[in-house]
Amino acid sequence: MKYNAAIQQKGFYFVLPTLVIYGIFLIYPMLSAFHYSFFKWNMISESKFVGLKNYIRMFGDRRFWNSYYTTFHFTLISILIIIIFSFLLALLFQEKMMLKNFFQSSIFVPVILTMVAIAVVWQFMLQSTGVFSNIFLDIFGINIKWLTSKSITPYSMILVNVWKITGYYMIIFIAGLLNIPQIYYEAAKVDGASYFQRLFFITLPQLKNTFILAFVSGVIFSFAAFPQQYVMTEGGPARSTEVLALLIYKQAFEFTKFGYSSAISVAFFITLLVFSIIQFKIFQSESTY
Amino acid sequence: MIKIFKYILLVSLTIMFLFPFFWMVVSSFKPTSEVLAIPVNILPKNWQLDAYTNLLNYSEYDFSRYFLNSIIVTFFAVLLAVILCTTAGYGFAKYKFKYNNLYFIIVLSTIMIPFQAIVVPLFILMKNLGLQNSYLGLIIPESLTAFGVFLMRQFFYSVPDEIIESARIDGASEFRIFWNIAVPMAKTAIFALIIFHSQWVWNLLLWPLIIISSPEMRTIPQAIALFSGVYFTPYPEQLAISVLACLPLLVIFVFLSKNFTKGITLTGLK
Repeated sequence: MKYNAAIQQKGFYFVLPTLVIYGIFLIYPMLSAFHYSFFKWNMISESKFVGLKNYIRMFGDRRFWNSYYTTFHFTLISILIIIIFSFLLALLFQEKMMLKNFFQSSIFVPVILTMVAIAVVWQFMLQSTGVFSNIFLDIFGINIKWLTSKSITPYSMILVNVWKITGYYMIIFIAGLLNIPQIYYEAAKVDGASYFQRLFFITLPQLKNTFILAFVSGVIFSFAAFPQQYVMTEGGPARSTEVLALLIYKQAFEFTKFGYSSAISVAFFITLLVFSIIQFKIFQSESTY
Repeated sequence: MIKIFKYILLVSLTIMFLFPFFWMVVSSFKPTSEVLAIPVNILPKNWQLDAYTNLLNYSEYDFSRYFLNSIIVTFFAVLLAVILCTTAGYGFAKYKFKYNNLYFIIVLSTIMIPFQAIVVPLFILMKNLGLQNSYLGLIIPESLTAFGVFLMRQFFYSVPDEIIESARIDGASEFRIFWNIAVPMAKTAIFALIIFHSQWVWNLLLWPLIIISSPEMRTIPQAIALFSGVYFTPYPEQLAISVLACLPLLVIFVFLSKNFTKGITLTGLK
């Protein structure tokens, strides 16, 4: 027995490299972000402790709040559209049909394309002389300033995001649908339930966890958006697409305000943390049933 | 009737999802004047390869070097990720050492650390370690995935303890049991991890932008972003390099599309 206990302790050596590396390169930087956020620092002159000054400045900074709002707007609208859209696609693919694999793969293709390359392509397509703008103009007769209007460009960003990751969530929903035991549907059919009754009373409740998972991972993914905005708009026009990740990058590496940038990083982290905790609570209350 | 409508819907959706990719490929064979020309020509009037050959002639942009960089970084970051995730996952799943749960919670909690929130301190740390403009500076942070540790731990739970015990009685060392018995059994999960992590690493932009300042160390996404950000860059060249950047993952997808979707359901649902 003693021999076995000694063996069990050996497991620590399997875990040790990960603990050390994650500690140094993830946990330590996160703690440093808190630390740096209390300093005024530009990498050239000596850093100076300024207490809460960076935070006070942040709370009064319209550029920060604009960025915060932009990120939420981008994230929430994208995710709502993506979840509904990909769920409907998954439902559509439930039935037998010709060329099913081809259709599914085509919708999935954007997922595997490099984001930066995609951003370059959409930037061309959405220009006033670009192919998308012009086809849209021909079909609907409306000339839209996809990349130069501060009220429309945020939606162009959402459009690209939806196009890029819908296929991913479609696959997740298809898998979720496959996991629902067929017996439920057969029993419901015997009882004479209509398609929509089966959808609302079997499919949706059974997929609750899949929906929650899609929502959470989608929010975390979209909240951290960067390449698309960096390449397509650089945050413009009039900062209407300046998401938080872009603001953190600009404050640190264009304006060399490392302390202030760290304060924004902390706000970014806390927002996602609060979100994760709420999420965790929802999951917990679910599992008690 | 409904069936016909369904197919019309699917065909138009397919066109919408494939069109930007299709346009990117065909437009990379156009001369500059045709890319944004009105009226719109989707197909080139005369196909030409100039954009691709011109990519080799930029004095400030060494694209073949950037491809090499991206391949090296992706390969080693994924290798390191697989090593760390499998060893840690195995340790957490199959041993009851002191503070096992506490350590696991610490590692798992790093899922909540968004990379964007730590780039500034991470940059300072890497600079102090002298890893700026180095492969190692790109590889180490890009190999970290707490989710991968979680995935591997879940998978190793399914390896029966009896097999491990009987190997111990036969006198196999702990590492040999891990390497010769546990790892082969976890092939599917490792494969999913490789596909997903390589896709993630290959596409990263923010970290290379920060840690790499010397031109010869650029990665492909970084090079594309910088290249397209400069005025007077010819359009077909920008599209040609974008096509090339997408190719490796597309080729993998075409050959392994079943594993791709399997990987998503494995990583996405567990």
